Amino acid sequence: MDKKLYVSKSFKLILVAFIILGIVAILVGFFTGHTDRSWASLLLNNFYFLSVALGALFWMAIQSITQSGWSAAFVRVPQAMVTYLILAFALWLILFFGLHDLFPWLGEDAARDSVLVHKVPYLNVTFLSVRFVVFFILWILLASRIRRLSLKEDEFGGLTYFKKIEFNSKVFIFVLGISFIFFPLDWLMSLEPHWYSTLFSVKYFISAFYHGSAIILAIVIILNKLGYFPFLNKGHLHDFSKYIFMLSIMWGYMWFVQYLLIWYGNIPEETAYFFLRRQEGFKILFVSEIFINWLFPFLFLMWNRMAKNTTALLITVGVLIIGQWVELYNAVFPAVVHHPAIGFIEVGSFVGFAALFTFVVIQSLSKHPLIPKNHPYLEESLNEEDE
Amino acid sequence: MKANNHILGVFDDPDAATTAVEQLVKNKIAIKDVFSPFPLEHVWKKLKMKTRIPYLTFTYGALGTASVYGFLYWSSVINYPLIFGGKPTNSLSFVVVMFVLTILSGVIFTLLTYLVREKLWPGKQVNLPDPRTMDDKFVIVIEKNKNMDEALTKKIDDLLKNSGAVEVNES
Repeated sequence: MDKKLYVSKSFKLILVAFIILGIVAILVGFFTGHTDRSWASLLLNNFYFLSVALGALFWMAIQSITQSGWSAAFVRVPQAMVTYLILAFALWLILFFGLHDLFPWLGEDAARDSVLVHKVPYLNVTFLSVRFVVFFILWILLASRIRRLSLKEDEFGGLTYFKKIEFNSKVFIFVLGISFIFFPLDWLMSLEPHWYSTLFSVKYFISAFYHGSAIILAIVIILNKLGYFPFLNKGHLHDFSKYIFMLSIMWGYMWFVQYLLIWYGNIPEETAYFFLRRQEGFKILFVSEIFINWLFPFLFLMWNRMAKNTTALLITVGVLIIGQWVELYNAVFPAVVHHPAIGFIEVGSFVGFAALFTFVVIQSLSKHPLIPKNHPYLEESLNEEDE
Repeated sequence: MKANNHILGVFDDPDAATTAVEQLVKNKIAIKDVFSPFPLEHVWKKLKMKTRIPYLTFTYGALGTASVYGFLYWSSVINYPLIFGGKPTNSLSFVVVMFVLTILSGVIFTLLTYLVREKLWPGKQVNLPDPRTMDDKFVIVIEKNKNMDEALTKKIDDLLKNSGAVEVNES
């Protein structure tokens, strides 16, 4: 019960090697004249793993607000993923050196552009930094508070901490709901400051929740295959995959609603965004985005046997990991790089960031016992009925 | 139900009813039906009951999508191709209609299938082993067959009583 995650030195060394590969990939971009690709990759990967961490925390908040019993034994996994937030903050600071390369509203022509001049009260570096710092401080504070309370619960037991976690989770979903409206606007939508869509943030919010819960499932399954969580059964797996199935529909809905309204309205200011992405080169990624993120999980997990099978679920999550990358690539690269470019810089930096994220998660998982022994619903989670 | 052909175990408590079902399944005694005011998930699983209705729902949904698309295509591309707003006649906005009518056909035909299979219709006289299952009682129905002797009947009665049945009736 008090088993901690043990990670071998050699695995950590491999991860460190991958992190170095990532750094090299980014530097290669800077020194070979592909500055735009390096900045775009940094933004993409930073946003990717930030949304995974926030999605995981949102998933956990929902478990405590609904007082779900089945997930009680797994809460350490999202808690470990959330420790990445502090690192995300540090890594995001690098992007502030690239603001002029990324954002056209800081470019030379911005002062003569009446649309951009009109948007200056919101889109300026000072206000952007203030929003950035405030959001990150709120997220990190709430995340570490929830995590600390959960660790204290392990020590002292009782219902006090359970109730406090529930209260903090309620605060967190309000904070995230409001801050994550502005965050994708600031960092993704303002890459094309002339274009706007009111559904943009909702889609990225759903995407964060979607891919965050998918990665929680992947970590749980991998740990189970390594011998941890021996009680994991098909009941748990079905509960996990219900989240992915439900969110795949939600994601597809948001994608389609945004696209249909713009397609139907056919206003040049709005269609410019999709026009760029439907050109040769970007078109294949644009079309595959919805197939990977919606159609495949939707049809695959509809099959009840697949929704309870560890291998099938690992494949689904693997596809979704690529899916979120494609989604963010479609948001960032056409705007920043203007031509399709997938090479060492993009793949290498993603591998580096993924290794860093894995490193943080396993480091944080190996510090404390994997199962929260004083969680009031632990018994229910351990004795979930097999299906 | 024919008279004196069934053993009815009446329970106050859903957990007791679940235990009784578990015991009966363990002793390989066939349970004909379980009546309850609300769905008991564990009983459903213990009885290993299977349903094929999700496959039918999927079929109805898929047929609904296809036929709605067929109709939209026929009406606005073949029969009356009216161009408005510069949109193609085979339009993306079909998806909304298809989405909604897929759900509609899935739901309505599943409901109809269920009513036909369960032989239910509006105004049908209910046939309950014990009218109190509509209120707060849980009833397990076991059919008495020819090779059920006194000893086995006694055993079933004891089993039901021991698991917490408030009454064991015959009907």
